[in-house]
Amino acid sequence: MTPLLAHDDIFQLVREPIDPRPLIDHVRAPEDGAIVTFDGFVRNQSHNRPTLYLDYEAYESMALAKMREIGAQLHEKYRIHRVAVIHRLGRLEIGETSVYIAVSAPHRAAAFDACRFAIDTLKRTVPIWKKEYFEDGAVWADGELPPAPLATRGAKPAS
Amino acid sequence: MPPVAQTVRVKVLFFGRLKDVVGQAEESLDLTDAFTIEQLFALYSGRIPELAKYRSSVVASRNQEFASWGTQLHSGDEVAFLPPVSGG
Repeated sequence: MTPLLAHDDIFQLVREPIDPRPLIDHVRAPEDGAIVTFDGFVRNQSHNRPTLYLDYEAYESMALAKMREIGAQLHEKYRIHRVAVIHRLGRLEIGETSVYIAVSAPHRAAAFDACRFAIDTLKRTVPIWKKEYFEDGAVWADGELPPAPLATRGAKPAS
Repeated sequence: MPPVAQTVRVKVLFFGRLKDVVGQAEESLDLTDAFTIEQLFALYSGRIPELAKYRSSVVASRNQEFASWGTQLHSGDEVAFLPPVSGG
């Protein structure tokens, strides 16, 4: 169920509600001193329009590949121990978690920085889309374009 | 090699609003020549004129990796047209 990689990280797309506890337990280890988590959940409005619910879809194979790339970048850039990144797809109600990230590290600064980098990069580069449903219709959320270097075939983050 | 046109079979995927515009999520296409991603998008824009207005905001991928518009397609490739992403 849990795909284990070289760093023993977790990257998952799920359709059921996200339970953060197993993710936190997974990244936590005796040699660590800090875990920073990010819980992204469904807001009740968008541009001051009350939202009914959201529907997320993904290019799943590519999204997982991009999530793993983010994990690899985190280990290159920061002194962290383990990462868990999970994103939910399908219909989500107000207040439900859409994305959850947990990063463990020996010291807090790296965990904070890596967690921030992970969510910011996910929102720019992972092919996931949300449709926002309102009383009077539905729209695809304005999204973000991947930065130019990532949009070029073969481009890899500096290593 | 004889100078015959080769058939290139590609799988094409559309996501988000592009899927709504095109009216389908995926299609397998036999192309008769060495197409670039740009030409493939133009092929669909010819069929569905509304698609053309999304060209500047679309990013393409080939085999699950972001690809430039000039990328040439090969048989078995999976090409996806991706509107601006909005996960998280």
